[in-house]
Amino acid sequence: MSTTTAHTPERTWKGRALSAVKRQEAGLLGVIIVLGLLVTLANDNFLSKDNLYNVLQTVVVVGIIAVGQTFVLIAKEIDLSVGSVLALSAVSAGAAYGNGVNPWLAMAIGIGVGALSGFAVGSVVVLGRVSSFIVTLGMLSIARGLTQLITGGLPQTMPSELSFIGQGRVLGGIPVSVIIFLVLVILGQLLLTRTVFGLRVTAVGDNDAAARTSGIPVGRTRILTFVLIGTLAGVAGIVFSTQVGVAEAQAGLGYELDVIAAAVIGGASLSGGRGSIIGAFLGACLLGVLRNAFILLALSPFLQQLSIGLVIVLAALFDQWRQGNLRHFSLGNLRQRLANRTNA
Amino acid sequence: MATTPVDDVRPAALAAVGLAKSFGAVQALRDVSLTFPAGQVTGLLGENGAGKSTLIRLCSGQMRPDRGRLLLDGAEVSFATPLEAIAAGVVVVNQEPLLIGELTIADNLFLYDLGERPGYGRARRSENVQRARALLDRLRMADYLPDPSTLCRDLSAASRQMVDIVRALSRQPKVLFLDEPNSSLTREESERLFAVMNRLRDEGVAVVLVSHRLAEVYSIVDNVIVLRDGTFVAAGPPDEIDQERAVALMAGERKRAVVAEVMADRAEATAQAEAALELDGLTGDGFAGVDLTVHRGEIVGMAGLVGAGRTEIAEAVVGLRRVSGGRIRVGGRPVRIPNPGRAQRLGIAYVAEERRTEVFHEQSVGYNLTVRILSSLGRLGSVSPGRAGRAARDLARRFGVKAASIEAPITSLSGGNQQKVLLARALAAKPEVLILDEPTRGVDVGTKAEIYATLRELAHGEGLAVWFISSELEEIVELADRVVVIRRGQVTLDAPNNAGPNPIVAAAMGATEG
Repeated sequence: MSTTTAHTPERTWKGRALSAVKRQEAGLLGVIIVLGLLVTLANDNFLSKDNLYNVLQTVVVVGIIAVGQTFVLIAKEIDLSVGSVLALSAVSAGAAYGNGVNPWLAMAIGIGVGALSGFAVGSVVVLGRVSSFIVTLGMLSIARGLTQLITGGLPQTMPSELSFIGQGRVLGGIPVSVIIFLVLVILGQLLLTRTVFGLRVTAVGDNDAAARTSGIPVGRTRILTFVLIGTLAGVAGIVFSTQVGVAEAQAGLGYELDVIAAAVIGGASLSGGRGSIIGAFLGACLLGVLRNAFILLALSPFLQQLSIGLVIVLAALFDQWRQGNLRHFSLGNLRQRLANRTNA
Repeated sequence: MATTPVDDVRPAALAAVGLAKSFGAVQALRDVSLTFPAGQVTGLLGENGAGKSTLIRLCSGQMRPDRGRLLLDGAEVSFATPLEAIAAGVVVVNQEPLLIGELTIADNLFLYDLGERPGYGRARRSENVQRARALLDRLRMADYLPDPSTLCRDLSAASRQMVDIVRALSRQPKVLFLDEPNSSLTREESERLFAVMNRLRDEGVAVVLVSHRLAEVYSIVDNVIVLRDGTFVAAGPPDEIDQERAVALMAGERKRAVVAEVMADRAEATAQAEAALELDGLTGDGFAGVDLTVHRGEIVGMAGLVGAGRTEIAEAVVGLRRVSGGRIRVGGRPVRIPNPGRAQRLGIAYVAEERRTEVFHEQSVGYNLTVRILSSLGRLGSVSPGRAGRAARDLARRFGVKAASIEAPITSLSGGNQQKVLLARALAAKPEVLILDEPTRGVDVGTKAEIYATLRELAHGEGLAVWFISSELEEIVELADRVVVIRRGQVTLDAPNNAGPNPIVAAAMGATEG
């Protein structure tokens, strides 16, 4: 042990503080806290228990899928079909129940449909060597079409036995859906950082060649990340439809953008290899807090859309700075450029 | 069968018999038979393209040979994948370490676990750190690396290389290939690596070292093997094949006589011509203090090893790379070239090394020919199709591009013809200076000769200043009026091209001449 310390980089408190700030999660948490404080100054309802649960409840659906999206992004893929798959899963469960299937089995069918569509996407991506952007763009349309075929445009009633998932509260008012969300986040983080599968996903997305020569089943790992996000989209579909009691064909329309935004704000890199489940959780929370702030402060919803767009771009810039890719903007550099210009 | 003359006490750990491999029309390796003895360090020598890397890939399951057999400890083996080779004890350390930047040193050291253990298994990351410390202690390499819990993306190039080496050693190799393992290491780090190699030799491992630092190779090897043009040339102990002899063997002697004639009359011709491009102490990332002058009507050939910094110098001159010191003069005037557009306006044309990245793949031959001069083919930003067509046909004819028509897709052309298109495109803007990086890579012999003739005509006939970079020694010797050799980012030779290949190779390899 003592022999290995010789080359360890210096660990001063200043260095530690900087590296802590440079972690996307800490930065995000700071932003959320500052934002929360500002909102509280204007409207002290923000910190009320009910409002905080409310915020969490609105981010549950997007957040659950963002866990899966983080895996997919780390594997250097992307999934645009999640909003439609969410609807397809919910509607499948509702339709199964409507045809007399046991409510729990109906739920399993719904989630299974999500997993299956993920498997289909992953197989085409890996075996057909088509970019996942295209395949999932296709799946976005296919799943939505199937949803409308199943429902004929009519909402499907969800089993009342399952309504506790979307509406129930336990332990003095904590929404069940929030607990499901938190459990999935923790499981997701463990899966990513503490299992062979999780490290395989990182290896595949970071350095495909190194993964291959280490005997990692590259294709299978990629397919499994799509199965994972499909399954989570299914879970999100059940949560979403039990919140309102019916499964609608238009459920989850446009959610893919929020999901990707949450994962990217949380530090996932679109070029693969990097991402954090906790980060995605915080990213989803930040989006929720922003939306909530606009409601509490009674600001224009147009401004809300604009500011969410800004947050996404700022998060990506912050990530670039963190990676040291913005050095060309450093002061010294600018000064030198100016000097060069005047000399020439 | 040519074998390594070894005192036969030592068994051959790995032997190749009649190995052959071709890529398309290129025969990368032909009937190579050799042995890598156990308990010895063998230096595998050859120029770029001599077949060293192909040989290593064939021996380690990264490629299947077209013909030939491999014997490991006397028994015939055949590896379908690198993993099979590693399991059998044939391990390669590549020049570019294969690491996962987002994982720790420890996780990278045991990356193979991720392939061998089931996906639902626990990752054992803290155990990996313990195991890594134990492994480093056992190999006595603990102080070569930061703590194993460090992320690999935070490591220096040298440490990354060291991680790859430690990982290779952890697989208990019988045969260890080190392909340019110390190209990114400092002297001290190289010495550590050599100490490790010495220990492995004592443990009976067959160590095979590929390195372009000849002096260093000779400080450790028991045995030298020379390849040239994909064939086995010679093998023997270093006192039999000394550095000078090795250089001569690598360079080949067959061309000498022919070349001597050509050279006699080219020596002094250019001495009085005016300078078209001058570099004065040019310094940047990858090169330092480079002085270079290219005269009008002169062809300057720049030789050196891959990675010596030649491309970087050219890129700096055309504004693709930052210059941190020194001066560039074009036609005697000092200039700054912050981007390729400026270079073009100053009359400097550049054809980069990678044809793949230079060609507009989805476009026609005509588009590829005229893309740089579009603004001169019309008015107010419009492009006249008639004039563009005429210009393209003109260029195609002048430079002998063989295409069905100028509307044909560029991808329908052979590599050689695509290269001619790129050359024509660069010359369409009538530059004063032409810079070419590997102008005939992957080009057939006939087209090569045509390109040489065109370049000679342009330089000697029309006074164009030509500066080309090439890793093919024969190309340098045949085409250049003057030779400049770059080694580790610095000019080590600048002389008229009349002394044959040996001084070029010596300057490129940094061999101690004696």
